[in-house]
Amino acid sequence: MLFFRSEAMVIEWCDAGRHPVRPIVRIEQLWGLARAWYTTRLQPASRRPDPAEMRRIFAGLGLTDPFWDPEARSQHV
Amino acid sequence: MSGAPRRTPAELDLEVKLAIYRHFATTGRRPAVAEVAAAAASDVPAVLEAFGRLRAQRVLYLEPDGASIHMAPPFSGVPTQHVVEAGGVRYFANCAWDALGIPAALGVPCLVRSRCERSLEPLLMEVGADGPGVSDWLFHCLVPAARWWEDIVFT
Repeated sequence: MLFFRSEAMVIEWCDAGRHPVRPIVRIEQLWGLARAWYTTRLQPASRRPDPAEMRRIFAGLGLTDPFWDPEARSQHV
Repeated sequence: MSGAPRRTPAELDLEVKLAIYRHFATTGRRPAVAEVAAAAASDVPAVLEAFGRLRAQRVLYLEPDGASIHMAPPFSGVPTQHVVEAGGVRYFANCAWDALGIPAALGVPCLVRSRCERSLEPLLMEVGADGPGVSDWLFHCLVPAARWWEDIVFT
């Protein structure tokens, strides 16, 4: 999970490593993920989101590609 | 420890988890198992058992010795390229996601330092209570969500 300066940098990096290009996430979306996962992390009742909650969080941020399905069975996702 | 309070495993796990996270938040570094035992009013063997349970719950990722904390997301127990500074404390994050996760967890203004993985251009991002300002930097994850914990260090 890495930062990139631009989409072109993502594509260059993926090409250089022969990696697939995955859905690209904007910083405001990443902040939404960070808040959803970690805002309560220092509190006693904190816990990781379950798969259904993960789906709702991803969908709420516009991350709807099958790549984000926490229970996807396909190894090709 | 004969004076240790009687607790269920779940109660001890919670105390251990809180002790770990408080230590990271206060110091920026991972606690030793003995420090966790002292903070949780327990003993090292019981805390090591709790570590194993917390690992199974994906709360912690441990070094092969089963005692050293590699990750207590969003905090990293080992140095990484993702550094967060707040209140005079320096934290390491496990990844780009966790680099914003530390400000979210701490709830205080932070400075995030990282880099573009392709060009190595430095990233310097101020993150306040409402998150980072407008930024055209991007985030990319290679591993699909369903496989993140198959190899969480690589992810």
